[in-house]
Order: sequence, then structure tokens, then C-alpha cells
Amino acid sequence: MISRPVPPPVETNALTLLSGDRVLIDRATLAVGAGEVLAVTGGAGAGKSLLLRALAGLPLPGIDQTGSARVDGRRLLIAQGGMLAPRRPLTMQAAEIVGHHLGLDTSASLRRMADALDRLGVPAAARRFDLPPDRLPDGLRWTALFALALAVGPAVLLADAPGAGLDPTVRLRLLHRLADWARGNAVALILAGRPEDGVAGPASRVLALRRGRLLPAPPPLPSPVLVPRTGGTGAPLLSGRGVSVSFALGRTAKGAERRLTAVHETDIDLAEGETVALLGETGSGKAMLARALAHLPAPSGGRVSWMGRDLAAADATGMRRVRRDLQILFPDPAASLDPVQTVGAQLAGILESLRPDIPADRRARRIADALEEAGLRAEIAPRWPATLSAVEAARVGLARALLPEPRALVCDEPAATLSAGERAMFRDDLLGLRDRRRLALLLATEQAGEGLRHADRGLVLLMGRVVESAGAGALLHGARHPLTRAMLAAARGEAPQLDGEAPSALAAPDGCPLRPRCPNARSFCSQAVPALEEIAPGHHVACHYWDTP
Amino acid sequence: MTLGDPDSRNGGRAAAAMAVLAGLALACTVAPLMADGSVIRRHDADPVVAALLDGRGSLSFALLAGLLGAALGLGWAIAASALGQRAERRMMDAANRLLALPLILLVPLAAGLAGGGVGLLAATVAAATAPAVAALAHAELRALMRREFLTAARAAGLSEGTILRRHLIPNARRPLLAAGALALPRALAAESFASLLGLGLPAPVGSWGGSVGLAARLGDGLALAPPALLLAVALWGLCAFAEGLRR
Ligand code: SF4
Repeated sequence: MISRPVPPPVETNALTLLSGDRVLIDRATLAVGAGEVLAVTGGAGAGKSLLLRALAGLPLPGIDQTGSARVDGRRLLIAQGGMLAPRRPLTMQAAEIVGHHLGLDTSASLRRMADALDRLGVPAAARRFDLPPDRLPDGLRWTALFALALAVGPAVLLADAPGAGLDPTVRLRLLHRLADWARGNAVALILAGRPEDGVAGPASRVLALRRGRLLPAPPPLPSPVLVPRTGGTGAPLLSGRGVSVSFALGRTAKGAERRLTAVHETDIDLAEGETVALLGETGSGKAMLARALAHLPAPSGGRVSWMGRDLAAADATGMRRVRRDLQILFPDPAASLDPVQTVGAQLAGILESLRPDIPADRRARRIADALEEAGLRAEIAPRWPATLSAVEAARVGLARALLPEPRALVCDEPAATLSAGERAMFRDDLLGLRDRRRLALLLATEQAGEGLRHADRGLVLLMGRVVESAGAGALLHGARHPLTRAMLAAARGEAPQLDGEAPSALAAPDGCPLRPRCPNARSFCSQAVPALEEIAPGHHVACHYWDTP
Repeated sequence: MTLGDPDSRNGGRAAAAMAVLAGLALACTVAPLMADGSVIRRHDADPVVAALLDGRGSLSFALLAGLLGAALGLGWAIAASALGQRAERRMMDAANRLLALPLILLVPLAAGLAGGGVGLLAATVAAATAPAVAALAHAELRALMRREFLTAARAAGLSEGTILRRHLIPNARRPLLAAGALALPRALAAESFASLLGLGLPAPVGSWGGSVGLAARLGDGLALAPPALLLAVALWGLCAFAEGLRR
């Protein structure tokens, strides 16, 4: 028994998938042993889903298959986007699926499901599974899906883009839990995803799917050594004092006004030529803070000043002068273009508004220059926004921001709609421009590692409050707040030490907003919101127990 | 890649509906020439020609009352959007509450109580169609106001007036047109319903609903079919046209 080697549960030999005479997957050869975790990375349309479907033995209409693929034992595919019926209560679906696979009755199936949820670390109190999946928060929905897979207990689990759309902190935590379970139970696990999804983090081996070939992924580039940037000297260009953003939610029964506060009083400065990263998970308020600083729209409280002048007090002309210097990049560049005007017409209108000093006959020249600076050709001007590709739209957005020759850019998840490769190129161009023109950048992003590597300073936001702020190097190498550490761990592909998802702003916990998820939380954390205190020169942390390792 | 106006990429359904409607309108217009004889008496004509003659009344009334209803509804939605939050909420609450009522019953009711007349009929039909137009137009306007390119225009320091002129109005035209077009099939349906009950367009003006009602009362299946069919085609055409505009 022991002496004979067990063949790996997943083995393919020169597996080739053809559609007509187009080769989609070219001679893929791979073997995944029991208890092994393999990551398959590839950009959109690289054929990851196809490969997983072939391995799962699902029919592939219109596709010819040559070579061999052998998968032993029960296999389960978690399809892209999760495959739960949106409207039926989760418990019913779980009972059905587990029951169908294992031939168990309802109560036994639900017991297995509960065990699986335990293993994934979902506390019993958070299990609202009599709800239909479309009413669950995204993180919980994915956890339920993984628990379902665990409950079925396959020998081979294939996961296509698992946890897509979740915050990196939440996704990486889940993926690591799944990988640990696979290793502990001798399950062969294949995680497929885009390179930026972090599926490589929990895997023991990574293969990259490129142009149909499945090859060992190149080792990640060593992160460039941090050269302390010299920007950020002198008086602040843009500064916010006690900036807060809140929304009216109607009135209570007693007639008192109810407000939802998305950003609590926050102080922030951006100096000439400085790059500040504004980090946070979805819903942390980073985008709203960034926009409030650009008065788009103005904050509900506090004051924002540009070179010492209060923006709230500026008249239309004064505001236009500020806007000329302070421009913004939008997360969805295509949506930020007016669909019924050509690119050129929009740019001309903006130039006319912000740079009345440029005479009309020189405007075309300036527009062509800005387009070129953004990496486009002037021929793009007569095009309609609907005909632009995502990359072109992002660059038009950049050209628009550069048009009035600003001194600072507020970037709200710039080019979030691009794929990883395109975004990296766009970011490099943006950074090049920053260095050439000494632009100050305020960079709101959820990619903590990437954001900090290019910044002088970083601020970490949690439910509308700054919880840590320091120089970029200090944050990268000596972060003290559990949230910052979790975000950086996720960026490195490691398991973040945080449980669950960020609570909704409508149901904020008492005391520290991180308490329900924090590994260091003690009872005092629920009593007082920790204040931002300086623990080293220029390093502020809002945590009662920041010195706990 | 074509560099066309994005508006030109539009479904063929709207075009087909337009063609059908145009054909119908043309047929109705030239119908008097088909009914040979100098004096046109509907009841003597052959049933198809009679139905086409009726179409003149039905279609032109639907156009008149529909345009009136569209104008009323659009005015309502635009006023609500422009008057600030509180007025907006009140006005749209009212529209939605009206929308839940069977307003179409109002048309024969008013005609029955006040004794008919094209003017009164048009006014009640317009009033009955306006809330639906207002609700749709308001939803479209709200969605438009939240679009990111308006924020981008503010970031460019454009004044609210310029934004209205340069970005809002050009982008609002088409959805508002589509919302307004919704009034046409509703007006036709309301008029036909009232005429069916004998409380619609006054006798000299023929109408599909009236003819269907009359034929049904006389038990004349042959006379019933053509107007009923034409009414159905016209309703489909107007609905498809309004739908197509929304794309
Ligand atoms: S205050 Fe408490 S709950 Fe909040 S981050 Fe610090 S240790 Fe965690």
C-alpha cells in the first residue's frame, strides 16, 4: 500500500483545446497532487475558465479537445462569479447541493455546512443564511460558497476567479483559509485568477497562462528599493482641516435629522511636489475625502484651503483659478466623458473655461500637446467617447487633467477599469509626468503596497477616520495599526489577520470600528474610539494597543 | 471603427415601428380617395376603408392628446427636478400616487358627467397620461444628474448655467423624448377605451374604439375585425417607438 506511489488526482498531458483552427489552450501539461494548491494566472480572456471547465469535465460546445486530462475522485468547480441562485434562501440551496452530492438528508447536510463554516471562521452570530444570497454582503456570500464546497468535500476543487470583487484583505484571508483546508484534507485545489487578484499568494506553485501556453510564472519582480522621495517640502498647497462628509438620511420619528457620516473630521496636507497615498478598503471614505478636498462637492464640515486661501470663500473666478491648478482623475474614465460631445470639443470647452489667457487660435496646439503628453495622438480629438477603448478613455482623462497645466492631481482610484498590465503602464506614465512637472499627487487606492511604493506619505482610512499616517517607508516596514498590516499582507499575497468584512457605515460598531475583525481587540476597544496619537515623529496611529506585536 | 454619432446606433425595432406607423398614417390620410363617391359616409363604405377613415380620428386625437400629456408630464418632471429637494419629493410622490390609480377611468367618467367635446376629452386624456410620463422622465433626469461627466464638468470650473446648456440639455433630450413618447400609446388606449363605451370622440369624428364598440353591439364580426386589428397595430407601433427611443 505505502510503497506504491499514488498518482496525482489531476493530471493532464498535452491537453489542447481548439475552436475551429484557433488554438485556445496549447499542449497544457500539469499535475496537481493531493493536498497541493496550484494557482493559474492569466489576463482576461487568457483561457483560464476554459481550462477549468475542461478539467471539471463540463461540456465545451464547439471546442475540440486533444491530449489527455485525467481527474480522479469527486470534482467541484466554483464557477466565475459564484453560482448560487440569487433569490432562494441559502440554507435550502446548501441542503440541496450537499444532499445531492453526498446523498444525505437535510439536517445532516446542514450540519456539514455548519462544520464547514466553522472551519472558515464564520462566527455563528454572523450566519444569516435564511436570507437569499443576493441579500448577503459579498464577503459572506463568497464564504458561504466556499463552505458549500468544503461541505461537499471533493477530492479536486477548481475555483475560477474566487472572491473576485472583494477587498484584497477579505479575499486573501478567505483564499488562505481555503488553501489551508485543502492542504489539511489532501484536496487538490486549483485557483485561477488574474495576476492582480492575489491567487498566487496562498498557492504553492504558480502557472501562468499566456497566449494559450501554460508555463511556470516568472518570479515576481523584486519590489524596487524604496528611494526616499525628496518631494513634499515647503508649505502645503492643499490642506484640509476637520474635513467631514455626511449625508442627510431623512428624519427620525421625533423630527430630529439623521445623518450618515462617511468621513469624520480629518486633517490632511499635500505639499508642493508631494505624493500622498490615501489607503482604505471599499467604503472607507477615501474617495469621498479625495473629492471633498477638490470641492466636488464641497465637504459638509471643516475647511479646505488651496495655498492658504479658503475654498468655501472663493467666488466663481477664484474657484476657477484653483481648479486650473487642482485637477482630478476619475475611477471610470469613460463615464467621465460626455457621450454626446467629441473628445476635442470637450477639451476645448475645458481649456476655454480654465485658461482664458490662451488665445483661441492657440488652443488647438495646447490640446494636441496635452494629448501627446498623455500618450495619445492628436487624431483622437474628433472621436466620440463611445468609440474609445478603455485605455484611450483613461488617457483622455489624463489629458483633460493636464490641459490647464495643473500643480496638483487628485486621483480617485485612477484607471480602476483597466486590466493590471494596462494600469501599470498608465501608472508609470502618471508617475513620469509627476516627476517631470513636479506635480503633487493625492492617490486614493485600495492597493496598499503599490500605492505606498510610489508615495512620500500614506494615510490609512477606516470607516471615515484616519487610523494611521506616516511616511511611506515607515508604513511599508513598520506599520502599527492592524488594518494597515492586513492591507500590506494582502498586497504581498499573505493571509491578512482580520476577520470578516468592513461593517456598513449604517451599523458602525461602538468604540474602535475595527473591533469585530481585529485580532488584538480587547474589551476596552469597544468603549472608546481610539484617538490619533503620535508614536514616533511623523507617525500617527489610532489604536489602543498599537504596541501589541 | 465608425465615427458616427452614437445616437445613430439604434435598434431596428424603432425603425420598423416608425415605418409601420408612417404607413398607417398614410393609409388613413388617403382613405377618402379609396372610398369612391363624393360624399363620404362611413357606414356605407367597405369595412376596411371605414376602419381607415376611423384611423384619421383616432390617430390625430392620440397625437393631440399625447403631445399635450407629454408636455404636461415633462413639465412636471423638469419642474420637480429644478425646484429643490423638498418640492421634488412632494411632486414625485404625487405622480407616483396618481400612477397607482386607474386614471384611464377618468376619461369616460369626465365625458359622461360633462357631456363630451374634443377639448375636454383631450384635457382628461392628457391628465391621465401625464403622471406616467413625469415618473419616467424624472427617473431619467435623476440618473443623468448623477453621471460622472457632470462632476468632470464642475472640475473644469464650468458654471452651472454652462453645464446645463452644454452637457445637461444635450444629454437629456433623448431620454425626455422617450419619456414623452410614452404618452402617445397611452392616449390612444385611453381614447379607444372611452369611445368603446360610447363616451369618447363625438359621433362625426370616427374612431377605432367607437367602431369596435358599435360592431360589438350589433354583433357584426366582419365590421369588428378591421378597426380592432388596426388599433392593435397602432398601439404596438407607438409602444415599440417609445421603447426604441429609450435605447
Ligand atoms: S483599538 Fe482595539 S480593536 Fe481597534 S485596532 Fe486597536 S486593538 Fe484593534
